[in-house]
Amino acid sequence: MHRFARSGFVPSVICLVAGGCLLGRSPQTSQSSAGVSLSYDQVVTPFVQQNCAGCHNEKLKTAGLALTKYHDLPSLLRDRDFWEKVVHRVRAGEMPPKGMPRPKPEAIAAVTDWIEQQFAEADQHTAIDPGRLTAHRLNRVEYNNTVRDLLAIHFKPAADFPADDSGYGFDNIGDVLSVSPVLMEKYLNAATAIANRAIPGDAIPGPTRMRYSPEHSPNDDGMALENRFDFPAEGDYDIKVSVSGRKEPFRLHLSLDGKEIKTADVLVQKDKPRSYEVRLHVLYGEHVLSSTMEPRTPSPQEVANAHRLKVEEEADFRKAIAKHPEDAKEIARQRAVSNPPTFIDAFEIHGPYNALRPPLPESYRRVFVCGHSPGQHNAACARLDLGHLARFAFRRPVTTDEVSRLVDLVAKGQNDGMTFEQAMRTGLEAILVSPNFLFRIERDPKPDDPTAVHPVNDYELASRLSYFLWSSMPDDPLLDTAAAGHLHDPNVLSAQVHRMLKDPKSDAFVTNFFGQWLELRNLDSVQPDPDDFPAFNAQLRLAMYTETKLFVESIVREDRSIIDLLNGKYTFLNEKLAKFYGIPGVIGNQFRRVELDGTQRSGVLTQASVLTVTSYPNRTSPVLRGKWILENVLNAPPPPPPPGVGSIDAAGGPLAGTMRQQMEKHRANPTCASCHMRMDPLGFALENYNAVGRWRTEDAGQPVDASGTLPDGKSFRGSAELKGLLAGNREAFAECLTEKLMTYALGRGLEGYDRPAVKQIVRDLSANNYRFSALISGIVNSAPFQMGRGEEATEVTASQVTKNIGGVK
Amino acid sequence: MIVTRKHVSRRTLLRGLGAAVALPVLDAMTPALTAAAAVSQKIAPKRMVFVYVPNGIDMRNWTPATEGQAFQLPKILSSLAPVQDDVLVLSGLMDHGGMALGDGPGDHARASASFLTGVHPKKTAGSDISVGISVDQLAAQKVGTATRLASLELGCEDGHLAGNCDSGYACAYVNSISWRSATVPNPPEINPRSVFERLFGNEENAGDPAARERNARARESILDLVADDTHRLQAGLGQTDRRKLDEYFTAVREVERQVEMMEKQIAANSVALPPMAKPDGVPIEFAAHARLMFDLLAIALQTDTTRISTFMLAREGSNRSYREIGIPEGHHGLSHHRNDPVLMDKVAAINRHHMDQFAYFLNKLKKTQDGDGSLLDSTTVLYGSGISDGNRHNHDNLPVLLAGGSHVFKTGRHVRYSQKEPVSSLYLSILDAAGIPTDRFGDSQSRLQFLGDLT
Repeated sequence: MHRFARSGFVPSVICLVAGGCLLGRSPQTSQSSAGVSLSYDQVVTPFVQQNCAGCHNEKLKTAGLALTKYHDLPSLLRDRDFWEKVVHRVRAGEMPPKGMPRPKPEAIAAVTDWIEQQFAEADQHTAIDPGRLTAHRLNRVEYNNTVRDLLAIHFKPAADFPADDSGYGFDNIGDVLSVSPVLMEKYLNAATAIANRAIPGDAIPGPTRMRYSPEHSPNDDGMALENRFDFPAEGDYDIKVSVSGRKEPFRLHLSLDGKEIKTADVLVQKDKPRSYEVRLHVLYGEHVLSSTMEPRTPSPQEVANAHRLKVEEEADFRKAIAKHPEDAKEIARQRAVSNPPTFIDAFEIHGPYNALRPPLPESYRRVFVCGHSPGQHNAACARLDLGHLARFAFRRPVTTDEVSRLVDLVAKGQNDGMTFEQAMRTGLEAILVSPNFLFRIERDPKPDDPTAVHPVNDYELASRLSYFLWSSMPDDPLLDTAAAGHLHDPNVLSAQVHRMLKDPKSDAFVTNFFGQWLELRNLDSVQPDPDDFPAFNAQLRLAMYTETKLFVESIVREDRSIIDLLNGKYTFLNEKLAKFYGIPGVIGNQFRRVELDGTQRSGVLTQASVLTVTSYPNRTSPVLRGKWILENVLNAPPPPPPPGVGSIDAAGGPLAGTMRQQMEKHRANPTCASCHMRMDPLGFALENYNAVGRWRTEDAGQPVDASGTLPDGKSFRGSAELKGLLAGNREAFAECLTEKLMTYALGRGLEGYDRPAVKQIVRDLSANNYRFSALISGIVNSAPFQMGRGEEATEVTASQVTKNIGGVK
Repeated sequence: MIVTRKHVSRRTLLRGLGAAVALPVLDAMTPALTAAAAVSQKIAPKRMVFVYVPNGIDMRNWTPATEGQAFQLPKILSSLAPVQDDVLVLSGLMDHGGMALGDGPGDHARASASFLTGVHPKKTAGSDISVGISVDQLAAQKVGTATRLASLELGCEDGHLAGNCDSGYACAYVNSISWRSATVPNPPEINPRSVFERLFGNEENAGDPAARERNARARESILDLVADDTHRLQAGLGQTDRRKLDEYFTAVREVERQVEMMEKQIAANSVALPPMAKPDGVPIEFAAHARLMFDLLAIALQTDTTRISTFMLAREGSNRSYREIGIPEGHHGLSHHRNDPVLMDKVAAINRHHMDQFAYFLNKLKKTQDGDGSLLDSTTVLYGSGISDGNRHNHDNLPVLLAGGSHVFKTGRHVRYSQKEPVSSLYLSILDAAGIPTDRFGDSQSRLQFLGDLT
């Protein structure tokens, strides 16, 4: 991670620090480049005439495009977005299409480089537009983390909040995050729950019931159960585990924090309730209760019982069918459903009995900074306590007035008969539902002037940083740095980024960014068909997730090249996943680093997690996998099929022949071919991996053919060669990842005016061996990350609303 | 706030289940009820529920062969037999806003966004979401103040987790059918336990009545404070930020109203008690989940906790598989059936499975007494999708049916309209029936004909 100490920063920031040069560098600086002296007519016109004009002329307008209508550089620059795509597709070899004469690589390079240079030149002369961030409501993850860091409270109050809508592939987009009354209700209830825990009453908790009984998905074998419980006080608890399902012989183990507290035999016996209880003295706080089962040799008595149970059950079944022969199918189905294999059903805890007074939690110390002993609080302390809390909660200095109004609220509660602690809970609740807490709001000096570009203030920059790298609020050192006004200093900023990435809280960055970019979050909800993929269960699902998480984490923490994401020859496995992959020598449940030379895997594309989230429940989908690569690796998402055509591969239904044969047949349709010849070959390369990512050499009884040809004519055999080709095109991948990460870092979609910043970061990456630190550094030092501006006041929305409401009598 | 049984007598419980909440708003509205005024006010369909299913329907097995009364129920509708007399199948309606209109692909996002709004949504991945207010929310704005919750939004599938939603449309468009305004969606509640807590409170506010009242007062003070904060904050902000804070402020006001109402109910000792145990969480099997949500919805209507609700049985474009009925493939995938009869039959099976749960709900409403009639009589229930055939993605000839309100609507029939009749016309009629006459809604300025005496 020493890379963060490097001193090279993007020009925009140097300008910014120097002040007043927002118009960019003078034109002379890049005038020396070779191609600039050539004109549009010398470079673009002949290329278009020779290679494009046959179809994309003003008469034919194939695909609605006429390239012949451009005659000079200004007209080209006016349609910048369009020409960016043209360059992209020509460079990728997608145009001219297969079957047409292909221009020489030098000719393609000459024209695309020239246009790119003109773009770069144009950017030099354009005023920097950093865009602006809309007031950003904390999303669920940010809310949980912020509460955790504010009050040292570890339950997840946002678990019940409605799901945050995503935009641009991420759930932290300020424009999309809205507040509905439902959410407001939840904010209020969460605030109460948080305040009750942060400032507990002095009563000794009485016994209550805690229960944990998750729904079991079809892929979960039910042989293990684990849950974290919050024990409200030190005392005696009755801890119970219950088992349901068929009567089968097992041995059951129950552990608290990994220490066995009970072992019992699950007996094959009729009408015997199967719950196992132990009374235990447990200390205050969180403890993990876990239980596992293993098969056991039944006693002769049990064998006899099992036989009798089976006979009885069979007789009941026949009787039911005899009574309602018309429902035979349904009865059989219900029998199958209602008689699952033995599984661990639930934990139940009753207590505490003989409880001791719980110790004051850390949160109590955080709230009452005034330092009085419990019960001895002085109302004058309220101002100090609330001011301190509000500064952290609002992530900025607070005004006397803001604090006074909180103090008044607390006083009002006391006048209404609350104790000081109870009233302080009200004050804390008010802070937690305040817009100043729930929103990150940035102040523009001239909010209605889009040309009023300015550096965001240090507190705003601190929040941008902490929500980017921690999905949480700034901590003490970061706020102190902001208070000192040093955060815009590139060296100080770099040191903070370095420190923050080392902090365990940066786990949020790994989980949230990569979880969404790679679509790993969907791994939780996929349900591979248990009949087709019996190996897939809850443990394997978790192992798949863990592998990818540890792998991407190693890229970040070891500051490796981002290209390793595509073809890094190592990964992290435990025994279960290693066996699934057919990689020998990994024993035990611990994940460890494993070198992949000589295996069928490398990089994220051939990790089971990614292969599974891009499959249907019952089979692979080369289309989904190809689309995934186009969207997430090559930054070139394909358009969806036109209506009426239908997806080649959307059906997910049973197919005859190999997947590939089916696809080839469909691709004969020219309407589909233009896009699918981009998508499908990418997916074909991964056909050696089934719908849960297991290696296979046969599909539907025939050998898998994992070869393909990309639109530019390059062909490959198998995933390794494809990854080689993808990794060879470093710039495309670097640009893709930069755009994704920038979207996540800013919490807004990227616009045309962000292009210079993205291109600068890609150049930085290339100059720094594509190390991950260069990417982070490039982003936090970019103009979009460091600056803001006002926006045009249009008020279109207000009139739109009125129009849509319609007239009510 | 939770109220346990020991605090309130059985008698109050009964009062809580219907009669105790005064109905000043509806009373005031009586003159506006024109044709419906003849109907006993107690059985006017003052409640409304909109149920949405994604990915279109296998129309071969949805549309009855004959029009008028005594039609044969097609396969998908077969479970409606016990309530057929309370159902109006409406064929030929159109959701104009769902069409591309030059915006290219994205029919799923457009279908859900426009279905209850009658407005063509703006194509955006996030920065400037805009569609229109939905019919349920228009009603909630007018009569929602009569109940503690102005409206209740339910769903059986959580929002999209990762990746893109539909062809450059923001996920909000496929996750919600209820829109408070052009820019603010109402997200559906997925977890039955959370719905229960919204209806009956959670443990955090338990305690003796004096403490609960004190806490309610504190809550009001908190809301006053943050409302005031909002105004101070807005002063120096640009218009987008001001709009965001407006959303927040509106939500604060709505919750404030709920708290006041709850306070009154506590004071009048007329808080409804939960007639069922608190659900543990989200059942994995679809049918169990949907029925639990329908149970909660029926209770919410019965206790007059709300009169307006939307329920998405799955989000638009859902690729959920229904293994429990022998369909391991994803729903969206199957809906692109390419007219393959095998795949179409599977789509029909899913459609029917959804309908079975809906029929369960209608039966439940019908069996619940409400005033002089049943709860179904006092509720207009709409069931439909913004896509007709999932393979073609067409937005005309939509699968739509209306149930309940049979003292106003002439139910028990199949009516076919011209292919261009906007579904928004139906909403104007539903609003009429609820005593909220409106000039125009979405893309319509006229009532749907042939619904009954009302037109």
